[in-house]
Parts: sequence; C-alpha cells; structure tokens
Amino acid sequence: MMGVINSSGIASFPANHSPSDLHVIEFNQVSKKYYSLTALRDLNLTIPQGEVIGLLGPNGAGKTTFIKLIAGIIMPTKGEIRATDSEAGWPSIGYKSERLVFPDNLVASQYLEMIAGLCSIKRAQRDNVVLESLARVNLLAAANKQIKSLSKGMRQRLGLAQAIIGDPDLVLLDEPSSGLDPEGQDEMQTYIEELRLAGKTIVMSTHQLPEVTRSCTYLIILKDGLVLYQNPMAEALTLRPHVAVLVDRPLDSAKELLSMVHPDIVVDGLEVVLRDEAIGMRRQVLSILINQGFDVVKVEQRRVTLAEIYAEAVQ
Amino acid sequence: MIQRILILAGYFSKSVFFSLTGLLLLILSIIYWAIFFPPGQGTPDIENYIILIGAQGAAATFLVSLAVCSKAARTENYPVLVRLPSRVEYLIAVLLSSLFLGLLLQLLVAGLALIRGPEMVITRVLSIPPMWISVNLLAAILALHATDLVTVGWSRVILFGLLAIALVLNSASSSSSGSWFSDQLNAVSDILDRVDLMWFADVAADAAEWAYDSPLSTIASAAGMVFWPFRAMVDAVFAGNFTPSQSLAPAILMLYGAILFLIAATLFAGKDLDFLE
Repeated sequence: MMGVINSSGIASFPANHSPSDLHVIEFNQVSKKYYSLTALRDLNLTIPQGEVIGLLGPNGAGKTTFIKLIAGIIMPTKGEIRATDSEAGWPSIGYKSERLVFPDNLVASQYLEMIAGLCSIKRAQRDNVVLESLARVNLLAAANKQIKSLSKGMRQRLGLAQAIIGDPDLVLLDEPSSGLDPEGQDEMQTYIEELRLAGKTIVMSTHQLPEVTRSCTYLIILKDGLVLYQNPMAEALTLRPHVAVLVDRPLDSAKELLSMVHPDIVVDGLEVVLRDEAIGMRRQVLSILINQGFDVVKVEQRRVTLAEIYAEAVQ
Repeated sequence: MIQRILILAGYFSKSVFFSLTGLLLLILSIIYWAIFFPPGQGTPDIENYIILIGAQGAAATFLVSLAVCSKAARTENYPVLVRLPSRVEYLIAVLLSSLFLGLLLQLLVAGLALIRGPEMVITRVLSIPPMWISVNLLAAILALHATDLVTVGWSRVILFGLLAIALVLNSASSSSSGSWFSDQLNAVSDILDRVDLMWFADVAADAAEWAYDSPLSTIASAAGMVFWPFRAMVDAVFAGNFTPSQSLAPAILMLYGAILFLIAATLFAGKDLDFLE
C-alpha cells in the first residue's frame, strides 16, 4: 500500500500498515562491470513493496552499485531492471547519496523547494511541503541557513528530507548513518522507523547491524557482487532456533562424546549448542552431561542473531 | 516537464553566473568588446558588428556550456537527477541554461558595441537573431559533446575528429586550384625532391597525378557543403540581404544542432553517470 499526497503535498499513510506481497522493482540476471571489475553478478531479486530493505555486506560488496542501479544513475552491463507494475511505470525515487554534498550556495529551504519543484508540486504548496519535511527531520531551525554552514548531522537530515519530499514510491538511502555520532545515529534510525511505520518502501545500505535490526523488515546480504542471503527480517531471526546448555566447567572431556551424538551439536567452552535436528536431543545431551559429572547451570532457547547470520553469510 | 526543466535551467544558470567562472566569462566578454569595438575609435560598420558579435556569442556560449556541464556533472546533483522521469530533461536544462547565459554575454557585448556604433537599420536588425541564435545553439551542443557529462568512450574523439576532417576537406574544396589534393601532393613531391629523397618524391608525384583524376576532389566538395550555411550567412551579411537559398542557412544550422543534440541525448541517456565531487 502506497501513501497518498494530501492537500499540502505531504505524504500521509495509515499507521502500522503491514507490508504486502507486491513488489516495486525486479532484477533479472543483472550484472554490472566496471572495466574488468565485476561489481554485481547475475542478480535475480525483487524489491518488495512497503518493506525497509537493509543491504549489508563488506566494503566493495556492491551495495552502492545496487542502489545506483535502482536510482538509474548507472546502467546494468547485462540483464534488465524493470518496474514490476508495468502499468504504473517506473516508480518515483528519492535518493540520499552516501556523500553529503549539496549545492552549498543555497539555503536549506531553497534546496528543498527546488526538489519539490522537480516533484511537480505546485508552487503554492511548495512552502508547506518544505516546512513539513524539515519539521519531520527536526531541521526547521536550519531552514534559512546556508547549506555550507550545516553540521554533518544536519546534512544527513537534510539528505533524508530531500529524499522523502514529494512522497516518492521508493526511498534509497546509501549509508544514512555514516559518520554520525551515537545520538545522531539514533535520531536517523528513529526517522527511518517512522518511515517504516508509514509504509514507505526503503532500500538502505549500511554497516550498522543494530540499525538493520531496529529499522529493517527485509534483509539482503551481498558479497563480491553476489546475493548471499535475502529474507524478511522476521523470518531470518526466527529461523534456526537453537538451544544452549551452560555447565559449571570446561567441556573438553565430553567434547568427543557429544559430537558423536549428532554433528549439529557444537561444544564451545562452557557451552553446548544444539542446532537444527540436534535440538530434539536435549534430553540425551543433558543425561550425558549429568552422567559425566557436569552441573547444568542453565538451559536456554535462543534465536539466531543478525551478527551470526551476517558472519555466516560472508564467510 | 517544462516546469522541471525551467527550475533546473534556473538553478544551473544561477550557479554558473554567480561563480568565479561566470565572473571570468564576463571579464572575457568585456575584454573582447574593448579590443574589437574600442569606444574611442568607434564601432566598424554593421557587417563587422554582426559577424564579430556572432563569433563572440558562439565562443561565449561554447565556454558557458562547458562551465554548465561541469556544474551539472557534480555528485551533489545525483538526488536532483534521480527525481526526473527522463535524463533528457536534465540535458535540455543544461542546454537552455548555456544558451541563456551565452546570449546574456552576447547581448552585453552587442549593447556595449552600440556606443558610437553603426547605424542600425530595422531590416538588418531583424536578420540578426536567426543567425546569432542558430550559431549559438550549435556551439552549445558541440560543447556538450566535448564534456564528460555526455561523452561515452571515444564519442568525443570521433565527433571532433570528423569535424576536423570536414574542416580540412572544406579548405580543400574552397581552394581556387582545380585539385587541392593534387597540389598538396605536388608540393610534398617538390620538398622531397629538394632533400634528395628521389624515390619518395616520385611516389608523391605519382600520387598527385592520381589525385588529379581521382574522385577525391568531389568528396572534398561534398564535405565542404557541410560548412555552406556559415559561408551563406557571411555572404548574406556582406551583401546586405539574404537570397532565398541563403535564408535557409540558419535553419540548416538548427537542423545540425537538432541532429547533434539527438546524438548527445542518446549517449547521455544510456551512459553510467560518474559525477565528480
């Protein structure tokens, strides 16, 4: 479900909307090469509508290339990127670049007014749209300040404000929290969460795992131009539950015995971790531990963390 | 679409006009005026006025266009570009802005040159805009092809290489001699003869003989036709009136411009944009 533009040209959305099964953009066998360097290889994926997609991956994984391809700044070397809804045409896009560069000779409100004009917002409505977008990112006080005088945090917020002005169908944020202090990062995540609650489709690249956990509803992990992992966040984090059994002393003496029970049982220091099929062998493992003279301190059911998913994918 | 193009054109124009480049171009224009139309001496006749200011307008538009393209090819414009339904709108805005600023500088010099300037007759004044605007348009579009904003791979080298070849052929076709190529080769043969490279001199002489009867002169004449609109306009200016065929010259220049712009738009629409910070 997409937002609508109200009379003042600002997007309004139903709160707490749930993402649909619709998609905005589809990648078909897309590859991108820069001379001899292959930045993306045979990508086949869709951008689900109404989701906040977190793009994770090490430096050089192809995240910025992925975002630039969607933005139409660069063209695929092979394959095609197309709007899923061919009748609606290519979605309107708001883009916040990784680099915080703006036309420094303008004041913040002038810049946003220009962007609003490019979004075909009528002249009479532009002032309201600009003020409301500045208010949304808590930048009203800087409305009449020269952009060159703004701090890095303010520039990040200005970047977000310009990306959401005119209610684009798709918002692309390239490392939105990069270079911000913890307070600034928190603010940025709050803004993104607000957009998520408003049902916007957002693609954001980041290196901040907590940011992804907090704001994103869909996860894509890239490495060396390949998609290693893609799943809804809720599914990703509920997948592969595991059980950890904590004992009172190092498990070296029982390590061999436990690993013979099932290959999915991993012994690590004071902890036995039972994954996948081994989860059903809890009783058996507990009785082995007790028979071996270990005191069981805690038995805990855990979910896989984003850090674990990421580490596993990129390794 | 028009609103978006005008907003962008205004933005580019302001950015370049109020920049150091804008100031330099303004100073250059004034220097041009001071050299070619010194107020103490008075402005030459109207023919020179039209030709010299036409040339200044083309040069100014070319330089302004380079400056606007450089401004347009900066990273800060990615968010702006992404908002447009078509990249061609962006290129049109660049072109409009270049034409506007180029015309501004041209009108400045044209205005200053009227100080103790030639007597303006209404019929001559009315013939000026089509000539100046068509030449400016062509200069602006050629400048687009010269910049990184539009060029793709060897496109710049190919276009300007072809232009250079056409210029050489044009000078060949305008030669009074029966066979320009033959004359040139004979000259080369003479030089080689003088430095005792007899074998090479003979080869050049044979080539000259061949060139005299070859279709090269016809090709040169055909290539020279490319520049006919310029010759026609200059002839018309000095004659004081346009013949029916000469009056087509500005329109043909506009046609060249349209073709070159089409090529520029196609290149720009399909290229990877690698803007600079």
